[in-house]
Amino acid sequence: MTTGLFALDTAIKVVVVLAAMLSGALVVIFAELKIGAHMQHRPGPYYAGGRFGWAQPLADGLKFLQKEDLVPNGADSRVFRAAPYLVVSATLATFVVIPFGPDLVVRDLDLGVFYLLAISSITTLGVLMAGWASANKYSLIGGLRAAAQLIAYELPLLLAAVAVVVQAGTMSLNGIVEAQAETFITVGSFDISVPFLLKGQLIGFAIFMIAAVAELSRIPFDMPIAESELTMGYLTEYSGIRFTMFFLGEYLAIISMAAVAATLYLGGYWAPFVPENLLNAAGPLILGAKVALLVFIIIWIRWTWPRLREDQLQDMAWRWLIPLALANIVIAGIFKVAF
Amino acid sequence: MPDSPPERATTADDLAEWADGLAERLGASVISTEFATVRIAVARDRWVDTLRAARDDEGLPFFSWLSAIDWAKETAVGEGPAEPEDLVERYEVLCRLSSVRDASGAHFVAEIPKDDAWIDSIVPVWGGAEWHEREAHEMFGIDFRGNPNLTHLYLPDAFEGHPLRKSYPLLSREVKPWPGTVDVEDMPAVEGPSTENPEA
Amino acid sequence: MTSPELMHRSEVAVSVELQTPDMTLNIGPQHPSTHGVLRLVARVDGERIRDVEPVIGYMHRGYEKLAEVRTYAQITALVNRIDWVAGFANEIAFIRAVETLAGIEPTERAQWIRLILSELARISSHLVFMSSYPLELGATTPLFHALRERERVLDLIEGATGGRFHPNFNRVGGVKPAAGGGSTQKKVSSDLPAGFFAGTKLAMDNVLAVCDDIDNLVTGNELIKARTVGVGVIPGDKAIEYGLSGPNLRASGVGFDLRKHEFILPYDEVEFDVAVAEGGDCYDRYVVRLDEIRQSVRIVLQAIDKVPSGPLQAKVPRILKVPQGQAYVRNENPKGEFGYYVISEGGRMPYRLKIRSTSFSNLSILPWILKDQLVPDLVAIMGSLDFVLGDVDR
Repeated sequence: MTTGLFALDTAIKVVVVLAAMLSGALVVIFAELKIGAHMQHRPGPYYAGGRFGWAQPLADGLKFLQKEDLVPNGADSRVFRAAPYLVVSATLATFVVIPFGPDLVVRDLDLGVFYLLAISSITTLGVLMAGWASANKYSLIGGLRAAAQLIAYELPLLLAAVAVVVQAGTMSLNGIVEAQAETFITVGSFDISVPFLLKGQLIGFAIFMIAAVAELSRIPFDMPIAESELTMGYLTEYSGIRFTMFFLGEYLAIISMAAVAATLYLGGYWAPFVPENLLNAAGPLILGAKVALLVFIIIWIRWTWPRLREDQLQDMAWRWLIPLALANIVIAGIFKVAF
Repeated sequence: MPDSPPERATTADDLAEWADGLAERLGASVISTEFATVRIAVARDRWVDTLRAARDDEGLPFFSWLSAIDWAKETAVGEGPAEPEDLVERYEVLCRLSSVRDASGAHFVAEIPKDDAWIDSIVPVWGGAEWHEREAHEMFGIDFRGNPNLTHLYLPDAFEGHPLRKSYPLLSREVKPWPGTVDVEDMPAVEGPSTENPEA
Repeated sequence: MTSPELMHRSEVAVSVELQTPDMTLNIGPQHPSTHGVLRLVARVDGERIRDVEPVIGYMHRGYEKLAEVRTYAQITALVNRIDWVAGFANEIAFIRAVETLAGIEPTERAQWIRLILSELARISSHLVFMSSYPLELGATTPLFHALRERERVLDLIEGATGGRFHPNFNRVGGVKPAAGGGSTQKKVSSDLPAGFFAGTKLAMDNVLAVCDDIDNLVTGNELIKARTVGVGVIPGDKAIEYGLSGPNLRASGVGFDLRKHEFILPYDEVEFDVAVAEGGDCYDRYVVRLDEIRQSVRIVLQAIDKVPSGPLQAKVPRILKVPQGQAYVRNENPKGEFGYYVISEGGRMPYRLKIRSTSFSNLSILPWILKDQLVPDLVAIMGSLDFVLGDVDR
C-alpha cells in the first residue's frame, strides 16, 4: 500500500480523502434536500438525474460555477475574496486526523483532538471576514452574531471532548478508538467493549452534539444566517463560486463534526464482532454508517425546530453547557482515577 | 371574557334616543342617526375635549378611524353632490369612536372652512390617531395642530397636491376617456336546476 | 466600513437622525419577513432597536379616489383586492353598506352562503398565518402542512365563486346567480356546484386535522415558546388606543368580537366561542388564531345544515342609484374590524368612500411596540400582528 516515499504516500492519502469527502458532501446535500422534502410532504428534487433527482447537487454546483463573479461596490475586495477559501480549507484540514480504519488515516497526530478543534475554529475567522468585508449592514450583523455564537460554542465543544480525552488517556483519535475497543467487562466467554457514549459520556455526547450544531450555524442556531431576518446574513453578498465554497464548506463541516462525534463517542471505525484484520476494509463502512446516523439527526432537527434568538443562544452556552461540561470533566476525572 | 347573549340590533328609535343623550352630555348636536350610523356635530374648538369626554365618560374608548370629506360644488372627477346650489363648501373631519363591550359607536363630525383648514390633533388622547391624521393631511391638506409627525404617509415626499380633494383630477381619466372601447359578450343562456341545496 | 455614499442612499427622505454609535438599518421594502412592501427604518444599537419608523405607501392604489369614479357594482370587483389573503371578507361590509343605503334586503340563502364563504375566508387567512409565522421564527415545516389544507379551502371557494383570492361574488341584494339567472330573470337558477357541501365537510375535517398537526409541531414547542412568550406584549388599553382589532385585540384580553354584537350576517343563529387570551404577547396572538380556525370550522359545519333554499339575489334595478345618505358598516374580517363609510349623494357612484382597513390600524402600533426590542424580536412581533400590505396601503 505504501510507496515508501513519505511525501507521495501523504499526497495519495490526501487526494483520496479529499475526493471521498467532497463526494460525501454532495451526498449529504442530496440527503438534506430529500429528507427535508419528505418531512414536508413533498417529493423534493425529482428532475435532475431521473426519478430520484440524485444529480441535483451536481446540477446546482455546475450552475453556481458559471455565475457572474460579483464583488459589491464598497467591499474590501481582497478580504471578501479570501474569506470562503479560508473556511473551506480549514474544514478540509480537519479530515487529516479522522481515522477511517486502523491504518486509514492521513496522519495520526498525537495531538489529534487539539489539532482538530484548533483548526476548525479558523472558520470563525473566515465568517467574520465575510461579514465585515461585504459592505452590507445585514452581513455585518450576521457576521457579528456569528462571531459571538461560534466563539461561545467553541468552549462546550472543547470541554466535552476533553472529558473523552481524560477517559481515553490520549488525544490521538486512533488511540481514542482503541480505548473504546478495549474490553470493558467480560461476560462468560464474551469480551464486551463499550463506546464512550455508554461509558459515562451520555451528557458529554449531548453537549458535543448541541455545540456541533451551533458551530455549524444550523437551525436551531442559525442566527448568523437567519434567513427570515437577514436574508442570508454574512452570506448575503456571495454568489457563484465563492458561495459554492461556503456551501460546500458547511456540508463538509457537517460530515467532519459527525465523524468526530462518532469517533469520540460511538467508537469510530470499530464495531463489535468485527475481526481485527477486516477492520481496515470494514472500517470506512462502519464509520460511514455512524456518520450517516448523526447526519440524519442533524438534518431532522433542522427541518423541525425554529431558531433560538442570539441572547438565548448565548444564555444556553454560558450558563448551561459550559458548567455542565466542566462538571462532566470532573466526574470523568474522578472515575478515571478511582477506577 | 364570558359570552354575553347576542344583542339584537337596536331599533332606530333606541339609537336615536341614545344619540340624543350622548350629544347632550357632550355639548354637541346630533346630525343624523339614519342607516344605523350616528353622526354628531362637534364644534372645532371643542374637538379634543369632546372626544376625550366620549372616551372617558361615555364608554367609547376604541379609536376606529379618522378621516375627512371634501364638500365641493364642482368635482374634477366623479359625480357631484345632490344639490350643489345649497351646498356650503367645507371640509368635514370625521372621527369614529366605538365601544369594546357592545356594538355602539358614533361618528364625530367637525366642520372646518376651506380657507382656514386646521383642527387640533387628537394624538395626545389616542396615539393611534397619528397615522390617520397624517393620511388626512396629505390627502386633503388639513393641518392637524399638535400632531408630532405630519409628514407624508402614503405619498412620496416630493408629491405635490392633495389627491382626495374634489378639485384634484385623476390623471388616467385626463389622458384617456373612460370607459374606452368595451367588448361585451352576452352570457350564455343556461337552463338551471332548482335552488335546493346540492346533495350534502 | 460602509462608504459615505452608501450610507446616504439608505437615509434619503427619512426623519431619523443619525447619531453614533447607533446604526441605521433599512429593513425592506424587499425583505423576506415584511409581508409585502413595507420599509422599516430602524435605528439599531448592536442588536437592540432604538426606534423604528415604518414607511408605507409602496402599494397605495388610491382606492378611495377610484371609488369616486366607479359604480357600486364596479367597486365590488375592486374591494376584494384590499386584503387579498381573505378576499371574500372584504366585500361583505361594502355590499351591506350599499344595501343599507338602498334599502334592499338580501335574500336569506345569500346571507347564509355569504356566512359560509366568510368563514372559509377566515380559515384561509389564519392558515396563511400558521404557515408564515413559524417560518419567520425559523421552523420551516408547518408551512407545508397549513398551505396544503388551505388549497382545499381555496378549491371550495373557487368552485363556488370562480376565484380563489378575488371572488367578486357579492351583488347588491345577494350573491351572484349562476350564468343565465339573475334578478331580472323569471327563472331562478342554481348556484353552488354539486357536491359543495360534501366537499366542505371533508375539507373541514382536514382543516381540523392540520390544526392538531400544527398544535403538535408548534404550540408546545419549547423553542417557539422561548421566542414568543413575553415578547411584544400589548396591554389591552394600548390596543384600544391604537385601534387594534380582531385577534390582536382579543389576545390582549379584550374579548370583543363583532360577530357577537353586530349581525350583518346571521351569526346569531350559529353557536361558537370567542377566542380570548390574557397576555397580549406573540404567543397569545398565535394561540387565539389557532383557536379561531377551530371555531370557524364549527360555524361552517353548522351553517351547512342551515342554508335555506331560495333565490340568490333580490330584485334590484339594472342601474342602481343609491339614495342620498351616509352609512358605516363594519365586518369582523379575519384580521379585525373592517368597515366602509359610504357617502352617497343619490347617484350611481359614491360621493366618498372611506375604507377602514384593519391592518392600517394594526400596523400603527409598530413604532410604539418596537422601541427597545431586539432585531429577531422585531420579526416575531411583526409576524404576530398578521398584516397584509394591501390592507395597510389600500
